[in-house]
Amino acid sequence: MNLLHSSGVVMPTDPKQTPYLLGGKCSNCGTVVFPKMPVCPKCRRNGTVEDIEIGRKGRLFSHTIARFAPKGFKAPFFQIFVDLPEGPRIFSLVGAECPVEDGVLEDGMEMRLVVESLADTPENKDTLTYKYVPAAKSGKPRHA
Amino acid sequence: MREVAIIGVGAHPTGQFTDKSLKDLGYTAIWGALKDAGVTPEDIDVAYVGNSLGGLLTGQEGVRGQVVLQHSGITGIPVINVENACASAATALRGAWLEVASGAADVAIAVGVEKMYVGDTARTIGALSSVSELDLSQMGMQFTTSYAIHPKINLKGKMKEYGWTSADFAKPAVKNSYNGSLNPLAQHRRALTIEQVVQSRIVVDPLTLYMCASISDGAAAAVVCAADMASKFTSKTPIRIASCVLRSGEYRLPNDKRLDSATVSAQAAYEEAGIGPEDLGAIELHDAMAPAELMLYERLGLCGPGEGPKLIDDGTTTLRGRLPVNPSGGLCSRGHPVGATGLLQIAELVWQMRGEAGPRQIEKRPKVTMAQNQGGLLLGQDSAVYGVTILKS
Repeated sequence: MNLLHSSGVVMPTDPKQTPYLLGGKCSNCGTVVFPKMPVCPKCRRNGTVEDIEIGRKGRLFSHTIARFAPKGFKAPFFQIFVDLPEGPRIFSLVGAECPVEDGVLEDGMEMRLVVESLADTPENKDTLTYKYVPAAKSGKPRHA
Repeated sequence: MREVAIIGVGAHPTGQFTDKSLKDLGYTAIWGALKDAGVTPEDIDVAYVGNSLGGLLTGQEGVRGQVVLQHSGITGIPVINVENACASAATALRGAWLEVASGAADVAIAVGVEKMYVGDTARTIGALSSVSELDLSQMGMQFTTSYAIHPKINLKGKMKEYGWTSADFAKPAVKNSYNGSLNPLAQHRRALTIEQVVQSRIVVDPLTLYMCASISDGAAAAVVCAADMASKFTSKTPIRIASCVLRSGEYRLPNDKRLDSATVSAQAAYEEAGIGPEDLGAIELHDAMAPAELMLYERLGLCGPGEGPKLIDDGTTTLRGRLPVNPSGGLCSRGHPVGATGLLQIAELVWQMRGEAGPRQIEKRPKVTMAQNQGGLLLGQDSAVYGVTILKS
């Protein structure tokens, strides 16, 4: 299994630690971005963005069910934006434990990060990335 | 800066043209524009050629502009290849305008050409996704989804915020499908009803099939020259470029209080042209998903927040209304061959301003018009490109 390079997800070697996203925090203005970038997009300082662990949980900003999928993905599938408590609002897919049905997700609900295959397709089954699932559901986290 | 006029436009019809290459599509548009302008290939000092997907879809990764122009007899000049996603053609026009405005060239041509039918729809959709930042596209983000839930427009959220309904979303599609039914260049020429649009299959909630632009082949071109030289070439009404604005998107954080980028680029275009929204007589705007037109009404300063559907209900933006929007049929009916769209918009406006638009001619020939073109998606929660051009006759 390979981690999707650009996804910015980190799998700690200590099994007691849960996965997180590697974001960047500007030491000048405090802005947090994901993925990390060298220049702060807010204050435009160069070299002030430092590593920060983010994204273990979030709140659902918006969601929809896509009925058609690009190559390497299977429809129907949820596509969502999640507000992370640290600041960023990020695009994500939803973990496989969550059934793809209307009414399952509600904007504003608490979400938690899981790490799993990008998609159950020949192209993407061996690529790991971050996804989110409703925090309230006690589904088994699908760490590989 | 010198004043610049568009003296000729040309277009290839939009739709599926299986046997035609980029060169063939471009040829029709280029020679349409040359003849319309009364110029020969030798008169062209410089060319900008917009194309977005030709590398991935046709395999012609480099020098597409030179390839297309050579096929049409235009050689031995500076040729600038322009890739700027769905706003490639607006970007090409800006380049041509700037060459002439600055005095570097007297006559320039802007071309937009796209070949999307390659016998494998999944490949085309994949190529289309790739004009957004890779971090998004490789996670499965699609343009359809972005219109539905992306923070920059979030149509699904607007249903809650504004009380817009599925029927409201269908209104621009219905209006534009009627316009497209009158346009011989249009890809889809069937006038649709609200029921047909709402009941067509769901692509991504809340967008249905007839609310989404389909894939398309097509091309368009415009010849521009110094305004004071226009009469040397043609007796037709020269159409002056009053402003030609291009902006990249902003990196936006969730509580970003700055104005939306479509709004900012429109305001800049109004200011540069010295006019306001009330002066416009027609608009061609970027309705890749038809309901986006409702949001663009407010962002272009035509109405207040949430008031978009009213402009269609009261007839304002219909073909016979005070300010017709997308008289060509827009992206969903006229067609959206992505790298050609910005110049297809310009061609339509030029025909309307000259009174040459046939059955879809706006009764009161517009004297001031706007083309609004945008494209690509960035991680920073904005589109990548915003282009606004204002024309005056």
